[in-house]
Amino acid sequence: MTALRVIPWLFTIALLLGSAVGQETFRIAIGVDPDTLDPQQSTTTTVDNIMDYVVEGLVTIDANGRTQPALATSWTTSDDGLTLDVELRQGVTFHDGTPFTSAEVVWTFERLLDPDVRNPRRGPIAAIESVEATGEHAVRFNLSEPAPYLVGALSMTTNVILPPSIVDVEGNSYENITHLVGTGPYRFVERALGENVVVERFDGYWGEMPYYEQVVFQVVPEATTRQSLVLAGQVDLAILPPTSDIPALEANPRTEVVLGPSNRTIFIAINNDDPALDDPRVRQALNYAVDKEAIIQGILFGAAEPMDAPMADSLFGYEEVGMYPYDPERARELLAEAGIEEGELELDFMAPTGRYVQDFPAAQAIANFLREVGIDTQVRTMDWPTYVGTMLEPPESNTTQLHLLGWAPSYMDSAQQMEQFQSGQHPPNGLATSFYENPEVDALIDEAARELDPDRRASLYGEAGRQIWEDAPWIFLWVQSFPMVHSAEVTNIGGFPNEKFDAIYARPAD
Amino acid sequence: MSGFLSYLLQRILGLFVTVLAVAVTIFLMVRLLPGDPARVIAGVLATEQDVARIRVQLGLDQPMIVQAGIFLRDLFQGDLGVSARTSAPVLAEIGARLPATLTLAAAGMLMAIAIGVPLGAWAAARAGSLGDVVVSTLVLFGISMPVYWLGLMLIILFAINLRWLPAAGADGFASLILPAVTLAAFSVAFIARITRSSMLEVLRQDYVRTAHAKGVDRRTVEWRHALRNALPPVVTVIGLQFGQLLGGAILTETVFGWPGLGRLLVDSIFARDYPMVQGLVIVFAAMFAFVNLLVDLTYERIDPRVRYG
Repeated sequence: MTALRVIPWLFTIALLLGSAVGQETFRIAIGVDPDTLDPQQSTTTTVDNIMDYVVEGLVTIDANGRTQPALATSWTTSDDGLTLDVELRQGVTFHDGTPFTSAEVVWTFERLLDPDVRNPRRGPIAAIESVEATGEHAVRFNLSEPAPYLVGALSMTTNVILPPSIVDVEGNSYENITHLVGTGPYRFVERALGENVVVERFDGYWGEMPYYEQVVFQVVPEATTRQSLVLAGQVDLAILPPTSDIPALEANPRTEVVLGPSNRTIFIAINNDDPALDDPRVRQALNYAVDKEAIIQGILFGAAEPMDAPMADSLFGYEEVGMYPYDPERARELLAEAGIEEGELELDFMAPTGRYVQDFPAAQAIANFLREVGIDTQVRTMDWPTYVGTMLEPPESNTTQLHLLGWAPSYMDSAQQMEQFQSGQHPPNGLATSFYENPEVDALIDEAARELDPDRRASLYGEAGRQIWEDAPWIFLWVQSFPMVHSAEVTNIGGFPNEKFDAIYARPAD
Repeated sequence: MSGFLSYLLQRILGLFVTVLAVAVTIFLMVRLLPGDPARVIAGVLATEQDVARIRVQLGLDQPMIVQAGIFLRDLFQGDLGVSARTSAPVLAEIGARLPATLTLAAAGMLMAIAIGVPLGAWAAARAGSLGDVVVSTLVLFGISMPVYWLGLMLIILFAINLRWLPAAGADGFASLILPAVTLAAFSVAFIARITRSSMLEVLRQDYVRTAHAKGVDRRTVEWRHALRNALPPVVTVIGLQFGQLLGGAILTETVFGWPGLGRLLVDSIFARDYPMVQGLVIVFAAMFAFVNLLVDLTYERIDPRVRYG
């Protein structure tokens, strides 16, 4: 008997035992108060994570970051790469009873592309020119240019499918949605501003039924309090406990720590335009000078993996290059080769505080490692909007030398990561704040953006990655983890590699 | 009485002028903050077109003087604008969270008065005794203890170890206790200290000695004669403390995940949400000015020498 045949039997047995679904409530402590519950307007991963309980896209990602069917069952791209045909799942119903058909998909994408409705993440789908229904359960996307990354981008919460009837729900309008209606395993019940969001199991869900009847997302901005709620047994799961408490939580038999995978690379952007830093040997020296492993163990409490390529290993197009080992001797040699004497180089180093796991403490340690090879480094910090403003100054007025940054592509493809290394993406056009420029790399990335053959596309990114690694426009640091802590009484909780928790199918441990 | 009415009108007019001055100041101050709000709100994946659209939506494409004119015109119509971050009207967002902050501030204030005043009076009546030293030490503790630290200690004791109270949230009376105690701690200490010194002053007065000499019961002298006359400075301090309390509420709300205005203010500043920051500061200023007006009016009740008009 194949595994597939066993599943209906297991379901029947489970139903007979009455244990497939429960009546309990699952509580999750989150750190942010949602700024919106309109998928199209969201910019925050945690807010997306909540909405993922209620809404679904055409595709989704699995635990390894690979694209999987969701409301679409299959898709094909034309040979010229200019049309994308998508077959839709049948027998799916929205929470308000609307059947899911191509009409809802067309409406959703028209709204996503409508310049009169705010969509802060329109960039990844900007290649779509129009969407048309080619059948009751089939749609065609007409593209202005080949966009091999597009199917991956459809997994973003931004691009989930909503029914047109949603605008008639009280409190909603075409421009702004506050009461979400989707096809997901949970339906939206209520939101108390600053307090919580409540969802309830949707009995008409097409896929696997979750165990918990109700899920409450409780807004708790302070990390120590989130952790306390788990320790006090008042929530089941808390995201981002204080990093320094991870070892204690791991040792505690009442709690379990999940170090969720992430695609967020943490790095120090080196200003490649700065005369003191335009020699690749100097930038390589900076890479050799920093002991990444020691900082991960000592300051991040293990909540990261050192980078071994310019992108996280969960992205399509990742190819390992091998990390810069900690070698202060080699760093000194390279600096000497570049004609820099001990103590001659002075660097200004900016780092944010509280934006990434242990960001400022790590920056202070990095500055110390740089001082040890004779580079006088001063660290400073500032609030985030000021920080972003400073690093996005155009080249003629940009005075940064080193700045610490995290970069997490919103879909699991190297395309967005590589924007960091494209000369066309230098501020003010984009966010490539190291001002790195290599025509060879530009050409490889441009070619990959048009290449329809996945294997060839991946190898183009691999080649670009090796060249970038050699040129060292960054101090390559680590791919940070996404720590969570949950009560030992619940199980089946994990993380997706895009800093989302995976707890829809959580259940009691016994 | 007509004298009192005209006094009241004057004060209310003054209140409006104060709030207007605060409004203009905060309007200018948020615009002095570095960082382009349209870019911060649009996020890193927005197209340039979207960033430009948000700039127009926020009116940031207009000259500053035009922006100020629109802001003041809307303000006089009671319209605080639409939040750039949440797309909801600022008044609605504030209205939804104001009751939580007021509940917390009122609970903290009541607790502070109910404990602080008797404690200070009691210590003054026993100046120099062991009890007085204990109270003074506690007061020093309360004043110097950071809100954050006290809040977390209370959570560890009452939520994790004893499991008596919720660590966070706003689910009924039980969840109000820890945040209110945390918020009250500083004010209890401060009010107790002021009451004690004011009371010591009064206890040295001739009429108190006379009362004692006449054989009036000690308790009556202390609590009825002396305390009443020691109250005016205490009431002033309570009024000023209310401002402190609103400030403290920002930290307390963050620690306890209390759904009030404090966290909204922090989020809005970091998002460069000009309309929301302006609205919140105006509301805070109006509340503070109103409470101080109430304090001044209370003087008349507790101090017969003060007559308005």
